[in-house]
Amino acid sequence: MPIFKTPFNGYSVKFSPFYENRLAVATAQNFGILGNGRLHVLDLSPEPSLPISELVAYDTADGIYDVAWSESHDSIVIAAVADGSVKLYDLALPPTSNPIRSFQEHTREVHSADYNPVRRDSFLSSSWDDTVKLWTLDRPTSVRTFKEHAYCVYSAVWNPRHADVFASASGDCTLRVWDVREPGSTMILPAHEFEILACDWNKYDECVIATASVDKSVKVWDVRNYRVPLCVLNGHGYAVRKVKFSPHVRNLMVSCSYDMTVCVWDFMVEDALVSRYDHHTEFAVGVDMSVLVEGLMASTGWDELVYVWQHGTDPRAP
Amino acid sequence: MEKAISRQKILLHHLNPSSSTHVNESSSLYASACVAGDSAAYQRTSTFRDDVVIVAAYRTAHCKGKRGGFKDTLPDDLLAPVLKAVIERTNVNPSEVGDIVVGSVLAPGAQRASECRMAAFYAGFPETVPVRTVNRQCSSGLQAVADVAAAIRAGFYDIGIGAGLESMTTNPMGWDGSVNPKVKMFEQAQNCLLPMGITSENVAQRFGVSRKEQDQAAVESHRRAAAATASGKFKDEIVPVTTKIVDPKTGEEKSVTISVDDGIRPGTTVSDLGRLKPVFKKDGSTTAGNSSQVSDGAAAVLLMKRSVALQKGLPILGVFRTFAAVGVDPAIMGVGPAAAIPVAVKAAGLELDDIDLFEINEAFASQFVYCRNNLGLDPEKINVNGGAMAIGHPLGSTGARCVATLLHEMKKRGRDCRFGVISMCIGTGMGAAAVFESGDCADELCNARKVDDLLLSKDAR
Repeated sequence: MPIFKTPFNGYSVKFSPFYENRLAVATAQNFGILGNGRLHVLDLSPEPSLPISELVAYDTADGIYDVAWSESHDSIVIAAVADGSVKLYDLALPPTSNPIRSFQEHTREVHSADYNPVRRDSFLSSSWDDTVKLWTLDRPTSVRTFKEHAYCVYSAVWNPRHADVFASASGDCTLRVWDVREPGSTMILPAHEFEILACDWNKYDECVIATASVDKSVKVWDVRNYRVPLCVLNGHGYAVRKVKFSPHVRNLMVSCSYDMTVCVWDFMVEDALVSRYDHHTEFAVGVDMSVLVEGLMASTGWDELVYVWQHGTDPRAP
Repeated sequence: MEKAISRQKILLHHLNPSSSTHVNESSSLYASACVAGDSAAYQRTSTFRDDVVIVAAYRTAHCKGKRGGFKDTLPDDLLAPVLKAVIERTNVNPSEVGDIVVGSVLAPGAQRASECRMAAFYAGFPETVPVRTVNRQCSSGLQAVADVAAAIRAGFYDIGIGAGLESMTTNPMGWDGSVNPKVKMFEQAQNCLLPMGITSENVAQRFGVSRKEQDQAAVESHRRAAAATASGKFKDEIVPVTTKIVDPKTGEEKSVTISVDDGIRPGTTVSDLGRLKPVFKKDGSTTAGNSSQVSDGAAAVLLMKRSVALQKGLPILGVFRTFAAVGVDPAIMGVGPAAAIPVAVKAAGLELDDIDLFEINEAFASQFVYCRNNLGLDPEKINVNGGAMAIGHPLGSTGARCVATLLHEMKKRGRDCRFGVISMCIGTGMGAAAVFESGDCADELCNARKVDDLLLSKDAR
């Protein structure tokens, strides 16, 4: 299976929505605590046994915590940078022209970025300054700032079906659901008793959302009945860093954790843990599933490696 | 740099809690510049909940054997008051005590064990509290404290008492029975039979400790002990004992309360001591004046887990950090502290310069002076309230007595005194040492060694 060695510690990995063999990786030096960052854009070879090649790489003055592909332009990538900036890169332009834009409004580290998959004209960034900001490509300042969280906002994710709805996960132990047309959040979900590090919407049921927490569990919720979760997925030995629903199977989801493993779950069955991948030798921090190739997965971690493998196979197999 | 520390803190919070079922447990994970570095002890907080802490330490006055205030006091009547004091003054329920370990050397083992058990009953302990003795010669009292600390740390119980007891009136030093002829074949075994005073002469001769140096050390010990007594420094640690004095001529018993050491001679001068004859060796340098006194006394130390102390609201007098016992040549057994102190200090992650106060037993002036000079210690940090040459050396009790003296002095000195060491030489060739830390949570330390680069250990410079 393809492996790519990055010079810095990996923080996030995302498949391109336009090309099935392309993915972007966000990395940060010194585990993201101090130093530079680098954004890699990688191309998979059509033959799985051949190595991954690097299309382009961009250096940043501070670590990059997250990356997001544009849903409207196949060559635009968004980077969430630890110095509080959100940078836009255009792969079609030469490196000297990049970044094409740098938004500098967040007062602390930007932890996540997500592009609107429905309207395709805007994206979100969430930050350790307790805010989420809404941006469009053609405006130099943010359209709006969402300020209700009381601690770091680790994740902000658009709903896959409703163009104006998104959810944000925070260290204040709440998940908030927002409608950009409303002045405040429309729902507050006290999902965990500890910090919530990630959230994701189900791709087939717009009312289902998953949250991942420092308490080592992943909970799946139906926002129509938010008092009790649909299910609680236990199995990680440390905080769960990312969670993603599959774009192909309604009940399938993937998570990665500080216990250095990537887990695949089916939240509708009693024994929810489908498989566990322990290929990483440091905290597993980023995970993604391809929308174009069913079962294709990628993960990255602080061991400075990016793995790409088919679900059900060994990521380390040659 | 502040930004990096802030990020580290946020990321480290992701690794809390250690268990998802202990929702309200305080965090057990701390960010640290370098927990493994040679400055570790200064980096780490002093509030780990699993520390073994000392909440009380008391002793009786120390009186001359056969001639002092305790000449007519039975051994169990010496121990009972200090056992009672550690319970009464802390209001700890006696039945909560997991074990009482008593250091004692000279009495027959089975009889002494029974006497200690009896003393526990006098002090109000129920039959459910076990008692045992320990004998590591002159360090038995310290060994008792270390044994209790180890048992608490191992989880055998949460509260324990380490104590020491010796009545050299009742049980003078001596050897019962005959000697195995086999010792002639082993020089070190034969050296175990040397009188302690001969080992002192060996130290003086081999390491060049002069008679004058020894007498000066003895004078200083008496002077400091007298000053401490006069200023009332020992009041906090001494438990008054009501006992009896029997007139040898008339047999009349008189009730007395003994609360002051009676071996201290404030007026001692170097010239006075110079007139004494060497006792153990012709042309030697060890005299009765520059040796520790044969004494009666007892001491007790109450130890518990820090979390138990906090729960009971007890002030923490000190923290037990490390203990080490090492072997040395029996012929020069007095050098034991010089060998043991570096081992214990290193085990605590410290250096000798980090130690603010020492209690080193003055079995003999020669070995005391040698150890002080060999380790390069500041005399102003050692036995600041006098030592065994003035106060006395009831063999099994001295270790626990030193804990009481050290911790009370550290408490008086406050922030400027963070680490203390207790050490003694041991007959037949051993040394024991223990490191203690002051009990209050660490604040800014006026005399802490400056650590210029927190991220570099010494090896990296």
